[in-house]
Amino acid sequence: MSAPVARALLSLAAACLGERRREWAMAMRGELEAAVEQGRPLAFAAGCVIAAWREMPNHREGRFALANNALALGLLVPMAGLQIAWAAGFYGGPVPGSVEDLYLCDAFMGAVPSLLGLSLFLCLLQLRFAWLLLEGDWLRVAAVGSLIAAATATLAIFTGLLFLDGRVAVLHAAALAIDIAASFVSARWRGRVFPTVPAQRPC
Amino acid sequence: MPPARRPSKQMITLLAALSEGAQRWRHGYDLMKETGLRSGTLYPLLMRMTEGGLVEAEWREPTQPGRPPRHVYRLTAAGVSLARSVTIDPVRSPGSAALA
Repeated sequence: MSAPVARALLSLAAACLGERRREWAMAMRGELEAAVEQGRPLAFAAGCVIAAWREMPNHREGRFALANNALALGLLVPMAGLQIAWAAGFYGGPVPGSVEDLYLCDAFMGAVPSLLGLSLFLCLLQLRFAWLLLEGDWLRVAAVGSLIAAATATLAIFTGLLFLDGRVAVLHAAALAIDIAASFVSARWRGRVFPTVPAQRPC
Repeated sequence: MPPARRPSKQMITLLAALSEGAQRWRHGYDLMKETGLRSGTLYPLLMRMTEGGLVEAEWREPTQPGRPPRHVYRLTAAGVSLARSVTIDPVRSPGSAALA
């Protein structure tokens, strides 16, 4: 059981080492059988992963991967969570006794389920967007980006008209602007690091 | 000219292990056992030392069928010289600046 896990860890190490260190990844792979014979394949493979991570800041592929992961996990994924929090706060309903409560209570009751569903869908799209950005699948990034833009526009129209409040729409639009900026920066950087890789990944 | 940096303790350990029978090729796992270094320390060191011209590496065909080829390592002339100087003068050793 530990040998297959160790092989998987070595595949991860090879991916982290990149093209420039491919030979070293093969060297690690070559030593795995010796580690298996000694009964310590996991310790060996875990060490190789650590070695590969330590090498990542030293080559441009590694720096790009680190920055891209930081962007996706540190910005886009938390942003998806924040969007849900904003939506949940907004769709909690108007403040009791306020003007909105008097005139828009029925509109809230009728529209909230579908708008909340749309917000959840938008959050899922954000997560998908982050994943595709990590994969560098630019055609799908563009497709999901378009869906995010469409969902944001829908939210803006309905919340603006029904509730006379554009706050959630503004926040979603800001998130969309961040998505676009992130994908632009990531695409340009990837283009410099991997100039020969095509934009579309094989299906 | 920047002052020469002393090689790390791990590097000195590896140099000492490789300098025993300097012409002998060693496998990575054997070096781990000999030096007590973990793979997470050994491989970055080997990478640096190979790039710095202190260690040379070669591929060896597997001794058993179905096994992948293995990398073997030994010191170059510069590596042997550094290993000696580290043994003689462990505080300040020429040529170690780019490696430590």
